[in-house]
Amino acid sequence: MGRSTFILRVTIFLISLICVQGDTFHEELVIKPFLPAHLYTYFQFITLVNSESSEDTHLSPRSLLEIVSRFQVDELHFTLTEGQWRHRQWGYPVFDAAPGAELYAWFTSEVKDVDSQWKKLSAALSGLFCASLNFIENFNTITPQMALWPMSALPTNKNITSQLRYASLPREIVCTENLTPWKKLLPCESSQGFSALLNSRMIHNTNYHSIGVHVRKICASKDCSEINLEIKQTVSLVYDLNIIKSMDWSFTKLFGQGLPGACPLATSSKVYVDVTSNATRPFQLVPPPESVIYSQRGGSDTTFALYNIKADGQMVTIGAKHGSKNALTLSTPPPIYFNRYILGYGKEFGGIVTELINNFWTPIEVVVLENAPWWLPIQLSSLRINGEAKSDLVLSRYYSPGRSRQKPYHLELLMKLPPRSTTTLTIDFEFIFLKWQEYPPDANHGFYVGSAIITANLPTARNYTSLPISGSTFDSIINASKPWYPAVLRTNGAMVSLPTPDFSMPYNVICLACTVVALAFGPLHNICTKELVLKPTGTPVSLTQKIMNLFKKKQD
Amino acid sequence: MGAIIKYLVAGILRYWLIHTDYWQILANRVEIATPLNSWKRLIEGVYLYDQDINPYEGDSFHESPIILIIFHFLFKRAPYILPLLFTAIDLLTASLLHKASKAFVRIFLNCQQKNQSDVADESKDMLLSREQLMETSEYVLSVYLFNPYSILNCVGMTTTVVQNALLAAALCSAANGFGIVACACLAFATHQALYPVLQIVPIAMILAEVNKGCDKCSYIRTLLAFVVSWGFLIYISAYIMDGSYNYVYNTYGFILTIPDLKPNVGLFWYFFTEMFEHFRLLFICAFQINALALYIVPLTLRFKKEPLLLITVLLALSTVFRSYPCIGDVGFYMAFIPLWRHLFSFMQQKFIVACAFIITSALGPTVWHLWIYSGSANANFFFGVTLSFATAQIFLITDLLFAYIKREFTLRNGFSRMVDGKPAKLVLR
Repeated sequence: MGRSTFILRVTIFLISLICVQGDTFHEELVIKPFLPAHLYTYFQFITLVNSESSEDTHLSPRSLLEIVSRFQVDELHFTLTEGQWRHRQWGYPVFDAAPGAELYAWFTSEVKDVDSQWKKLSAALSGLFCASLNFIENFNTITPQMALWPMSALPTNKNITSQLRYASLPREIVCTENLTPWKKLLPCESSQGFSALLNSRMIHNTNYHSIGVHVRKICASKDCSEINLEIKQTVSLVYDLNIIKSMDWSFTKLFGQGLPGACPLATSSKVYVDVTSNATRPFQLVPPPESVIYSQRGGSDTTFALYNIKADGQMVTIGAKHGSKNALTLSTPPPIYFNRYILGYGKEFGGIVTELINNFWTPIEVVVLENAPWWLPIQLSSLRINGEAKSDLVLSRYYSPGRSRQKPYHLELLMKLPPRSTTTLTIDFEFIFLKWQEYPPDANHGFYVGSAIITANLPTARNYTSLPISGSTFDSIINASKPWYPAVLRTNGAMVSLPTPDFSMPYNVICLACTVVALAFGPLHNICTKELVLKPTGTPVSLTQKIMNLFKKKQD
Repeated sequence: MGAIIKYLVAGILRYWLIHTDYWQILANRVEIATPLNSWKRLIEGVYLYDQDINPYEGDSFHESPIILIIFHFLFKRAPYILPLLFTAIDLLTASLLHKASKAFVRIFLNCQQKNQSDVADESKDMLLSREQLMETSEYVLSVYLFNPYSILNCVGMTTTVVQNALLAAALCSAANGFGIVACACLAFATHQALYPVLQIVPIAMILAEVNKGCDKCSYIRTLLAFVVSWGFLIYISAYIMDGSYNYVYNTYGFILTIPDLKPNVGLFWYFFTEMFEHFRLLFICAFQINALALYIVPLTLRFKKEPLLLITVLLALSTVFRSYPCIGDVGFYMAFIPLWRHLFSFMQQKFIVACAFIITSALGPTVWHLWIYSGSANANFFFGVTLSFATAQIFLITDLLFAYIKREFTLRNGFSRMVDGKPAKLVLR
């Protein structure tokens, strides 16, 4: 092993690069401190697939490509998340994700039977990522009408919602067994490059972690005559620096080890550190960055320190050292943030409240997608916006009522949030009584309600980190001012406790209920089939004699 | 004068209760409101219909489309009139029952006259006089007006109020010989809740008896009128839903397959909650046959001379065994019990049944609160109460029937319980 094999590998790679001249691979790490004491690290591994068929690719994961081409998927987003992103304190992540598993995909317009294709796709992905996506059924799948827009370069500019399916499984628990197959999709797996930092021991200890796969089609050139497939694998981690017990962080502290150089197959390997907060809370990067980039985007100035990591096998450890002075600093909240909770007591009636807070000085239009499972029937007639049944804030509405065991309740509202205001959405629901075999194990643990999706076109890029729609690598964020910034956000989930039957006595219940039916059947049968007659009774028998008779019979 | 005061008091009581703060709690009680008839679902259905969303697409509305458009119209035009309307409909039901019971008494007297030759001499005193019987219709009125079950049903503004009115109208017009009206009203009630379909048998018998002439022609005429009007209502409903018959899955389908297992006063909810999946279909069929088809033929054959008894018993049985019963149904058939006042002396379980009704009515809400709100009881408690409530009703029905055949026997054979000078007892053989 050692150097010679490594050089051999690089040579093979270069030769293959010349021959195939197809795929490119980029790996990027963005580190952003959240005031006062959190740290956001975001990995993205981008594979651009040039070739049409999945056979002659050499960097892209064939298993995933085959799924995409087999099920004729235009765009696919899959995330596995644990923890809750706190939009108010942390701003917006690059990709927001619902707690648990979340999957949505657009199928090509050739697909006619989208529902069956969707079922097959989720089953295939379930195998690929060892996640319980096979629990995706019709009863937890919706077709969002306004909330989700494709990021692909599609032949038509329209949002073909009939080809879109969305499902989230808030109960799904994310674990090492999901991370390992996810890492296998990378060209360097976990031996080289940034993915070596992804130790499950460290990342499952974070406050928030989310792994994702995003597949879409992007234009290869300006005129869009050629289309590339972009496979983006992302990891978002939020560390609580209070747990590390020091404001100073380094790769070793965060990931348990240093970075063993770049992946040799990568075209670029870059580390960006957001040093904007250096002005309010000074810190020193060790080693000092190669360059510093200033970015002005939608009214927010950001400074990035940039490191280009080389594939020379040199161990790299980037860290930050804070000055002794620890001023109390607060983060500025983003333009909109939200809050969601369950109302009511008892297990009969309840309500879901979604609070939307716009603290920007202009009105913001948002789409709110409420997705209530079938066992939480919401009543549209009880929808109140700031306590009013009819509100001017709602510009458009879509509602698809749910059906038990078949279809979830799906409500979408296009709303205009007034400047500097809190808008409260309340909707009532009734608790459903399930069949005893429909309750999950540990039924009294409660049932998870998925998060609502909130889509907004933000007028400002404050606290906004997502890439522009045409961008693929993180450098596209630099000076990318646009008239508006699309954001797809998820509120927190909720939990309800459904009334439970007694699981231990199905036989008793069946017997007792049948007995009562028999209580009616017996006498009615007698009355209808028999007639009343007088029957002579013998001389009255005393009790002792009766008992004696009983014994006599036994002796016989 | 007395009757007017009764109506007035009952009307004011209902109207006042609708306007108290407790109305919302009452309208949401599981004993009063089922998924089929609840006010909340009606509002949701009307709201969805108003917003051009098909209420039958989802799972929120299970009433008939005709009720839907009537209430849609009322909500649009005069929502304030609804409490008054429900009170008025319930009072109308009471008055129809009063009228019906008067006509029933006439039929009863005719029957008694016809069969007088069979009556043993010593039992002649047991025959009922006109005055005695005329009193009973006043009792029918009072029982319906002041029965807490029917009051609560009206206060909860359930659609069972409408269904009871239709049934009362059907029975009243049948007793007075208006065949077509009876069939139309019964068809509407059937269209709403399916189980009233059983009443077509006694109604056909009453019509044949009231309109003298060819019995078989009358049966066929009644049946034909009923089927035609029922079919017409189904067609009209489909017309309202833009020609789609999908609403049937959400009305009859919902009643028959019991997808909603929300507790009620019936037997179905916990039974099908705890049912093993591969036996579900079998037991759904068994229970629905038990409610819809099992008793109708034997009881008809046994009591073919007594359509009034048949009405009472079938109403009660279909209430006990229907998939989503509510106390409004119980209150309705209870109004017929005073008609059988002369059987009370032959009944053996009056006291037990009365106690069971009182105890379960008090215990039901208590254990419901313990289970759902305080979390200190579980589903078995409420199930136990509904079981005993059903048992009490069944005892009432069977006791009534036994009392009837005992009276019949006594009328024919006299009071003596002796065979050849030896003491004897009545047994079924």
